[in-house]
Amino acid sequence: MEVQGFEGTNSGRRTPSAVTGSARKVKDNAADWHNLVLKWDRLNDEGSTIANKIVNLGLSKDSHVNMMMECEETSAPSSSQNAFGNSNELEETCDNLLRVVEKMDHILSKMEKLVSSEQGIINLETFQYGTGGRQIPLFQTWPTSQFAEVSSKLYEAYNQELTLKRAIVQELAHTTNPDLSMVYLSCWLYQPYIDDSVKLLLEGLLLETGHRPS
Amino acid sequence: MSKSTLLSLEQVLKTCFQSLETNQKVWNSVLLECTPLMGSLGNLGEQLRAFQKVKIANSPLHTFPDLHERLHFKLVQAVDIVLGKLTDKMCSLQQVRDAISNQVSRAFQLYEQNVDTLDLTTVTQRSAITPSIADMLEWLQDSEHYYRQQFLRRKNLFQTLRSDDVSLLETVSQRWESLGSPSGEERLSDIQHKVSFFVESQ
Repeated sequence: MEVQGFEGTNSGRRTPSAVTGSARKVKDNAADWHNLVLKWDRLNDEGSTIANKIVNLGLSKDSHVNMMMECEETSAPSSSQNAFGNSNELEETCDNLLRVVEKMDHILSKMEKLVSSEQGIINLETFQYGTGGRQIPLFQTWPTSQFAEVSSKLYEAYNQELTLKRAIVQELAHTTNPDLSMVYLSCWLYQPYIDDSVKLLLEGLLLETGHRPS
Repeated sequence: MSKSTLLSLEQVLKTCFQSLETNQKVWNSVLLECTPLMGSLGNLGEQLRAFQKVKIANSPLHTFPDLHERLHFKLVQAVDIVLGKLTDKMCSLQQVRDAISNQVSRAFQLYEQNVDTLDLTTVTQRSAITPSIADMLEWLQDSEHYYRQQFLRRKNLFQTLRSDDVSLLETVSQRWESLGSPSGEERLSDIQHKVSFFVESQ
């Protein structure tokens, strides 16, 4: 599914009067959330492939070490050369995964900006309408504060997930326990902190702001 | 014995073998789609096995809150999604089996209605391009039996699958493959060859 018409120029077509000022900003933020999450998911898939490669390289490195220990008496230059090439590749692959995490970090910083933008909208409304905020909701039913709440909940989930991914990147190439490696891979792929409630919050946000047909 | 009865019986047999061939293609393509899904289940089985062996509390990930529960939930959810897709595939297989059974029973019904007028010579008579009616009925019965049995075996394996039975998940892919019957398949294509001239004849 795709969010339609969130660009500033054409989205006003459906509800031209509603999308100005704070509503415009909130609606754009919702579209940004959607796009950031899509980008995050793509990076997650990319990272998952790289992480799998790291684990496989790590396993073959171990078998190389075993092999070298077995034939230490005889000269095994080709084997050691292979192992050397292998660790070079391993290092390179780890760098690739680090880059994925950096990109995710970049996405997270954009998410943080969305949270502060929502907070800014609340502050503006407090200034305009007093502490009670506006009486008429911006879109369908949500009070303005709910957009900020949802944004910060989404941010918290992705923040926790990124912390987990950082820990995985640190450990992945260093573990010798294949079961633990597998658990790292599962954690990376299935993103335990991005649960169904996170997806529900995002869908709610998109529905409320009119990005999803209600 | 009237000529028209024989002709209509032959016509029904023709349609039956034609639909058998079409359904065989559908059946094979559904089975082909099942293979990667069974592979996914095997992979998830391995992940669940590793998850059971590793104590997250004693791993470098011990600082993460509820990670054990959350990851377990995600893995079981992933298994459920694959099982859901397989349910659809089993439905498609069942549809093929039912279509074949219906066709075959229609042919037998027509035969039984006219059994008094069909003497032994007629039902066993054959030519270079037309096998005897008795043979063809037998082949239809064999084909139907094959699909019934295959479906039951596969459905039976599918129904034993559970997200908490890790060892079954790990081995399901091999078990699924072992359910195939090469001799049965050979017999089916043998039958198709034997009736090919008859089916194509006007």
